[in-house]
Amino acid sequence: MVLTAEEVSEMGKTHSAREIARKVDVVTTGTFSPMCSSGVFINVGHADPPIRIEKATLNGVPVFTGLAAVDLYIGATENHPENPAYGGAHVIEELIKGIDVELIAHAKGTDCYPRKDIHTTINRSNINEMIMFNPRNAYQNYPVAVNSSKKIMYTYMGSLLPKLGNANYCTSGELSPLLNDPRLRTIGVGTRIFLGGTTGYISWHGTQFLTDTGTNEHGVPVSNAATLAVIGNAKAMSSDFIKAAYFEKYGVSIFIGIGIPIPVLDEEMASRVMIRNDQITACIEDYGDPDKPVIGRITYAELQTGEISLNQKKIRTASLSSFYKARIIADLLKKEVAEGRFLLSEPVEKFPHSKELNTLDIR
Amino acid sequence: MVLTFPAEAIDEPITYTLIKEYDVMINILNADITHGREGNLLIEMSGREMDVHEALVYLESKQIEISPVIKNILFNESRCIHCGACASVCFSGALEIDTTSRELKFNPEKCIACELCIKACPLQLFELNFGVN
Repeated sequence: MVLTAEEVSEMGKTHSAREIARKVDVVTTGTFSPMCSSGVFINVGHADPPIRIEKATLNGVPVFTGLAAVDLYIGATENHPENPAYGGAHVIEELIKGIDVELIAHAKGTDCYPRKDIHTTINRSNINEMIMFNPRNAYQNYPVAVNSSKKIMYTYMGSLLPKLGNANYCTSGELSPLLNDPRLRTIGVGTRIFLGGTTGYISWHGTQFLTDTGTNEHGVPVSNAATLAVIGNAKAMSSDFIKAAYFEKYGVSIFIGIGIPIPVLDEEMASRVMIRNDQITACIEDYGDPDKPVIGRITYAELQTGEISLNQKKIRTASLSSFYKARIIADLLKKEVAEGRFLLSEPVEKFPHSKELNTLDIR
Repeated sequence: MVLTFPAEAIDEPITYTLIKEYDVMINILNADITHGREGNLLIEMSGREMDVHEALVYLESKQIEISPVIKNILFNESRCIHCGACASVCFSGALEIDTTSRELKFNPEKCIACELCIKACPLQLFELNFGVN
């Protein structure tokens, strides 16, 4: 039997972990959230005469060219120098949709790559590879953001109204992939995933991967912990699950849809996937204070009601993560797994057991 | 409501007259007025029913077009990803994530056109439209 994480959480109200381990084979998870550390490698092919690209833009957005002659990396958060609301994410979405994108490139020229300038259009069909590679996606939990200062703050956690005017959170709670396997027993390098509407893979642990962040009484991290680096064929993706975004006065970002199936190996795994929103806690961080102190803790069940109580004040909550889309992803993956079209396997390599984070000091 | 003034009415102290002579409360939410050109005022008007009615008759007598606010919020619902960033800043409750379906619901009647949703939406699906259209 294949169920979504939401369905198995509901089942957990009336069934024990042992019963679930016997009855349920795979649990599917999903998330659709802004994930800034994302981008796409493309190979545009060689012109005649050929160019070894040194500087390039796609629709005016600078792209990274320091990879041989015609390999480029489109970073999602790179923005057009004259339009802060348009960036790499939008170029990526347009390429996924099959729309023509303008390439302008320059080079000093070499004996074997004599061309110095090129101005042409490319699209999904006429380029070689279009590989999505995202260094940091699918955060295992993330603190809730509030703002105690007197001015509105525009952040990657959305618009934070002053004097604790709102509280924004950004995970899919009990549907969240890494919250359903908090010790990462079944998820690691090589795990096959749903990525942007097609099949992708976990290529490495994500940047800023962190263990030992503190867990609540249900063994689930209460703050940002593990992350994933993911890879997939962007030509096969859909703009239903990859969406360019612009956060006012913050910058361009991109919504990425990810789903991971979790095999219910034993009773311990069953107890993990049964996790409910009222058992998952998040820290509340005050962005209005430069130290970003933790000023409380709250469960996702409370956050999803739309209102929480903090310092005797009632605060409206909202998610930046689309639970609606996360459900769609978990349901799609459930169907693919149940009908035998999406296969699970053990990770090729497990993630680091213990990892800390460094800060960038002024040296 | 949005009041659209013909160029000739720009110099008339309309809000003063509404408040003093018709005893209605006016809250100006936005103004777009240039001398010699048609202008727009986005206001909230409240008071006794009779006073409000007479105030509206007065405005019409001055050739001022009155448009209910709902005609001026444009929301591209088909492209919505139901993330909830707009609901987060909506004081009036016009934008809410349904607790069961988790879909974004927009109730134009509750909208006070504060414009916070326009900047909050990461896909820029909201547009505030003043003017004759």
